[in-house]
Amino acid sequence: MYRLQSIRKCYGSTVALDIEELTIAEGRLYTLAGANGAGKSTLLSILAFLTPPTSGVIFYGGKRVDWNRGSVEEYRRKVTLLHQSPYLFGGSVHDNVAFGLKVRGIRGEEQRRIVDRALDGVGLQRFRDRKARELSGGEAQRVAMARALALKTEVLLLDEPLANIDRETACLLETVIASLPAQGTTVVMTTHDPDHAGRLNSDPIFLEGGRHVLQSLR
Amino acid sequence: MDFLFSSFASALRLIGSLSPDVFDAVRTSLSVSAGATVFAALLGIPLGLLVGLSDFPLKRLVVTALNTLMAVPTVVVGLLVYGFLSRQGPLGVLGLLFTPTAIVIGGTLLAAPIVANYSLASVRGADPRIVPTALTLGAGRLRAVATLIGEIRYGILAAVIAGFGRVVSEVGVAMMLGGNIRGYTRTMTTAIALETSKGEFAFGMALGIVLMMVALLVNLFLNLLQQR
Repeated sequence: MYRLQSIRKCYGSTVALDIEELTIAEGRLYTLAGANGAGKSTLLSILAFLTPPTSGVIFYGGKRVDWNRGSVEEYRRKVTLLHQSPYLFGGSVHDNVAFGLKVRGIRGEEQRRIVDRALDGVGLQRFRDRKARELSGGEAQRVAMARALALKTEVLLLDEPLANIDRETACLLETVIASLPAQGTTVVMTTHDPDHAGRLNSDPIFLEGGRHVLQSLR
Repeated sequence: MDFLFSSFASALRLIGSLSPDVFDAVRTSLSVSAGATVFAALLGIPLGLLVGLSDFPLKRLVVTALNTLMAVPTVVVGLLVYGFLSRQGPLGVLGLLFTPTAIVIGGTLLAAPIVANYSLASVRGADPRIVPTALTLGAGRLRAVATLIGEIRYGILAAVIAGFGRVVSEVGVAMMLGGNIRGYTRTMTTAIALETSKGEFAFGMALGIVLMMVALLVNLFLNLLQQR
């Protein structure tokens, strides 16, 4: 799915990321681990096509990524990034989950059906008409997950989706995440929990000081 | 104190009797203020958003200039526009001096920096996750900016209302560019200044009460919207 070659991301004189070679295969689940400041979020941001690298080349689906505006917008529609503390737009839960669908021109009955199915997947269908801003942290995290899942993008990037939420919600989201590769979705998820890699049966990627130090494929 | 109480009672009677002079001043004030606010919003909102959302070499200078323009005395704006609209001025041929249009022009120049600064502050205060969230959900750059504007709409509305407040309460521009012509360019504020100087304190107070009521209504409207 992705092939990164000599990717560097610098902020001033600070090198946030320096990856010589990294391959992310289609339909697999990766856990991205490393200490704070190791470059995990920077890597996710690059993989989400939100931030261009300072130098280096990325291939997506076998094609070299051109960072001009039109191309990047096209790539962004194939990938969704879910932040650790996701932002929910004003309006209802439905409005939030439908946002990406509207952008893609999906409206009416089809949109409603997809939104309902996505909310059902995270156990929140009865929250459909609730105001998004009135939800608890765990509920908001589930809505954001539903919003990402509704798009059925090729890649789902998750920035510590299981941090700062209650155990019950974490178990539910873990089950949802683990089921995604079987549906053809490539998942890259950052985590601080060393048990996640084993529990989710994932391929671990380790970063240290912005450098990719280990990638073990099962 | 008796003087104040009796004037207040007379003022209430004037308002209750719908005095044509009071009515005309209120109508003129509201119409020129609304006109100036619309034009100030058309200029100020895009300017504030543009400065807030983009990075360019002289950005700090532009922000400082916008802040300074907020504090420009109304008479200075009046003087400047007077220079352009007076018979000898470059736009004198248009014959706009001492018309409601002249007050609208002056009011626009007064309110636009306020609307721009408040809009800029709204963008700066916006949650930094809004645009990346919209982008990662597949929105293009323009759609993401539109989403940001939607999320900070109450801040933008407050900017417009602050602009309206500046125009409806000022005297300098209305006096210098409108000429305080009864039934034509006489606004609430110029009427208060004139009538009070003539000793018609109750009339001035009546208009003062109406002015306060307008301010109250505008703020109630804003609060109502924010609670939705």
